[in-house]
Amino acid sequence: MGCEHTIDVSSYLLGALPEDEVPRFAAHVEGCERCRREMVALGPVVDSLALVAPRAAPPPELRERLMHVVRGEAQLLAAAGASADEVGPPTAARRSWRLGGLRLTPMPVALAASVVLAVGIAGALVLSGGGDDGGSPARTVAARVLLPAAPEARASLVLDGADARLQVSELPPPPGGKVYQVWLKRPSGSPQPTTSLFRVDDGRASVPVPGDLRGVEEVLVTAEPDGGSLAPTSDPVIVARPA
Amino acid sequence: MTLVREGDPEAFGVVYDRHSTVAFSLAYRITGTRNVAEDVVQEAFLSLWRSSARYDAQRGSVRTWVLGIVHNRAIDVLRRSLVHERRRASDEGIEERFESGERVDAEVARRDEAREVRSAIETLPVEQSKVIELSYFGGFSHSEIASMLDAPIGTIKGRMRLGLEKMRMHLAHQMEAD
Repeated sequence: MGCEHTIDVSSYLLGALPEDEVPRFAAHVEGCERCRREMVALGPVVDSLALVAPRAAPPPELRERLMHVVRGEAQLLAAAGASADEVGPPTAARRSWRLGGLRLTPMPVALAASVVLAVGIAGALVLSGGGDDGGSPARTVAARVLLPAAPEARASLVLDGADARLQVSELPPPPGGKVYQVWLKRPSGSPQPTTSLFRVDDGRASVPVPGDLRGVEEVLVTAEPDGGSLAPTSDPVIVARPA
Repeated sequence: MTLVREGDPEAFGVVYDRHSTVAFSLAYRITGTRNVAEDVVQEAFLSLWRSSARYDAQRGSVRTWVLGIVHNRAIDVLRRSLVHERRRASDEGIEERFESGERVDAEVARRDEAREVRSAIETLPVEQSKVIELSYFGGFSHSEIASMLDAPIGTIKGRMRLGLEKMRMHLAHQMEAD
């Protein structure tokens, strides 16, 4: 049995389908045996086209910069524990940003698309909302922003079951070359690093707080060098008490 | 990749060493600018590091996965630019140069593979190779190509399909001959 869309498989594989047609075509292929067979046959051919590009070696500095970031994140993960990268589902499209000369796509940071949500919550003291999953209702806890020079800055912690998210608005950017990092502090012991590193977009950010918040006394935010730190190198600018 | 998935930076380094040259070559070929190509490769490898759990070996090799990310990002960059106006890599006098530490046997194998693919492309009529090049390396949609070449979209689609099918058969014959 033929399919009138099989002719489009080549365009799809080559990236030549108009963007607005791609989702519909991808959905079609899922259910069309003939188009799937065409994909399987021609996919490797398209993949092989990359090999005919004139060979050019990347600069050695690129490897160094990447390894610096990768090693830093691996250290953070190890220090933060096995659950450190367990974050709730993203609520907004991720966007790339520049960090120490590297254009990064931060793992847990969701920015611009959650602006409306952040604005809606900004300035609230203690709010509550109903979870729609039948479990405990979500809670929003106001956080203290310790930046006298930015009296308009607001921050809050949204707790929804096992997920937690820090929302900020009107927060000034971190000092040059630095990023904000989220920490978890328990009553005994020093703040534990998390992999949440973020910058603000027009003063706003919505950041998942990874890890297990049980027993956490305070969620802190400090400004840290690129790639984050294993121990805070500056005083907290935000303090939230989840309990 | 298992070690990368477990967060081993040195394993990531091995993957980078193995695939970065072909990844950079592709990004450079598409974007035509070294700085932009660097950005594309950085993003692609960081994406690989951070989403390695999504890699499924049954759906293709690591190289295919990496190059897929690089291709998508490079084309995104290209389309974000106001016009498809960039210098071709060849115009900048790009020369082949390899990392001194690169494994010779792996490099030889890659060159052989590239030669076979190039040979497959050379068997195509120019109107077929052109539409494939404009779409894959140029980031043009089939309707844009149709306008550029003053041909119906259906014709462009047909050339793409015929070209890829001929390449597939050529590569299959070469594999059998080997």
